[in-house]
Amino acid sequence: MTTPILQAENVVKTFGQGHALVRAVDGVSLELQQGEMVTITGPSGSGKTTLVSILGALLRADSGKVVIDGTDISTLSEAGLSALRARTIGFVFQSFNLLEALSVRENVLFPAHLAPGGVKAAAPRADEILEKLGLAERRHALPRTLSGGEKQRVAIARALINEPRLIIADEPTGNLDSKSGQNVLMVLHDIARDDGRGVLIVTHDRRVEDVADRILWLEDGKLRDRKLDAHEWVRDPVCNMAIDSWTSEIFIDHGEARYHFCSERCRERFTATPETYITHLSNNRAALERRS
Amino acid sequence: MFNWTFRELFSSPQQLLASVAAVASAFALVLFFEGVFAGESEKIVALIDKTDADVWVMQEGVGNMHMTTSFLADWKIDAVAGVEGVKKVTPILYLNSVFEAGGRNWFSFVVGMEAGDPRAGPWEMARGARAPGPGEAIIPEVIADSAGLGIGDKVRIAGEDFTIAGLSRDTFSMANSITFVTLDDLAETISTVGTVSYLLVDAEPGVNPAELAERIKAEVEKVNALTREEFSARDYSIAVQMGLDIVWIMTLIGGALAVLLTGFIVHSHVSERERELAVMKALGVRDRSIYAALLLQALAIGLLAYALAVALIYLAVPLVGVLSPKISLGVTTAALIRSGSTAVVVSLIAAIIPVRRVLSVDPVSAFQQ
Repeated sequence: MTTPILQAENVVKTFGQGHALVRAVDGVSLELQQGEMVTITGPSGSGKTTLVSILGALLRADSGKVVIDGTDISTLSEAGLSALRARTIGFVFQSFNLLEALSVRENVLFPAHLAPGGVKAAAPRADEILEKLGLAERRHALPRTLSGGEKQRVAIARALINEPRLIIADEPTGNLDSKSGQNVLMVLHDIARDDGRGVLIVTHDRRVEDVADRILWLEDGKLRDRKLDAHEWVRDPVCNMAIDSWTSEIFIDHGEARYHFCSERCRERFTATPETYITHLSNNRAALERRS
Repeated sequence: MFNWTFRELFSSPQQLLASVAAVASAFALVLFFEGVFAGESEKIVALIDKTDADVWVMQEGVGNMHMTTSFLADWKIDAVAGVEGVKKVTPILYLNSVFEAGGRNWFSFVVGMEAGDPRAGPWEMARGARAPGPGEAIIPEVIADSAGLGIGDKVRIAGEDFTIAGLSRDTFSMANSITFVTLDDLAETISTVGTVSYLLVDAEPGVNPAELAERIKAEVEKVNALTREEFSARDYSIAVQMGLDIVWIMTLIGGALAVLLTGFIVHSHVSERERELAVMKALGVRDRSIYAALLLQALAIGLLAYALAVALIYLAVPLVGVLSPKISLGVTTAALIRSGSTAVVVSLIAAIIPVRRVLSVDPVSAFQQ
């Protein structure tokens, strides 16, 4: 078995104190192998950004251990973390985050000056990556003249320039139309499959499930594995709509049970008179059972 | 990073131009005040420089002309003339005084020169006689214009009336002016007999002025003799010393203004580019590299502003001469070096201002929408 490119053990991160204490990341453990594409998904506010910041060596955990490419990052100084990020991790952001004053090629080469060999050594590689991602014709263009899909491909090219072993992508398709999003996903998929890099994607995009090797579900700071075909269908007690409880973001805990809703409106109606809908839900279930 | 530093700076030319113009205005202000001061100082030594004598002879113990009195017995004129290597000796009587013209008092160096001999007289005339006759005066054209006077009108010098015989140029500054009357008239006005103030000595061709000055001091008792260069330099340095504190205060004020402006501009750049800085940090750029980039930007703004200020001041020199002849503007190498150094120091200090802001940029914010 090869050494994982990314390894997290019982990582905890809290914010605030006393009653305002929030456990943004609560005992998370995970491993990412080379050539593996893993998706972390979960509802808004579940701690995805905090977790990805810790796994990307941007934020220090309160406790637990994060090992990137064999290095325990808790032992590194700020300068050491910067150097690790520059050489070992490629970042792809939802908002592309290109440097507006630089051309496509200059953006791609920007991290190269932080790596051994510098820009000069990386220049042929930049041209090769741009060619591969279909951006060769746009190498001298400024970011403001690019489409969203092109910007994200430039961001991916930038993430690859220092040949990092780990790619961390935060909602890489979040600001893209369907076709561009699909294109970007396939590029990330190829990066894992063909180049053997570890790719960690944080996303809400269901399409990622089709190409990811593993899907991890983060909720209330806790992480759990979710099989690719795992769905648990429940009924919205208000409108009776079928909802996948694995991905549902609107829910409420009432009594001993958790109820999932299709919308905030349904949740509000439920909250006003829960017993009405619980009875209704029970009747529906009874009717369903009789029919079956 | 170097690439980004300058691309980012020049990405918005209008913004850069406005920034540079703002800082340049502070430098230009300093250069302008220094220029006025230098111009005034140059005017103080104009008589020495423009009359172009090889050696100046004065009372023993006296070493300059500005704010000084010198008396020499008139027999020393012949004594100096007898020294080997002296071609010509021109005596002047000299008085720091005020004269009244157009209902206003004007501070002036009053030079009493030998009647009919223009050797110690004005070097550039606007109109009228080059050398005054008895009862006549040559005054600066600027004063005549300001006072509404012309040739044939009266001015009052040391309590005596004189008729304007000529109007001179290059003899006026805000702090000082030079008026020429005959030596006899001035002697009578100040009730002195048998004395002069300074002797202008022209050397024979091939005679070294410094050696001639030494010979005069050795052969004529109780006199001091200085070459024109040395005499002029001494007066100039006195004039400069008198205003040095003011110049430094002006430089400090202008420099502080430039620091605030440059600091504000660099700080604004940081604020506007906070997201890009967060991205850079996320990608692995260290804080010190970002500081270096900001320092380079501040330096570029400072030096561009300095260059613009220098261009403005050179443009102002002829313009001020035309629009406001009373102001003498001079640009010295020392002032340019001082302002250039100030620009560098200003940039270094200004680059410190946004340090806290840079430190506070959280790379995690690169993930935020």
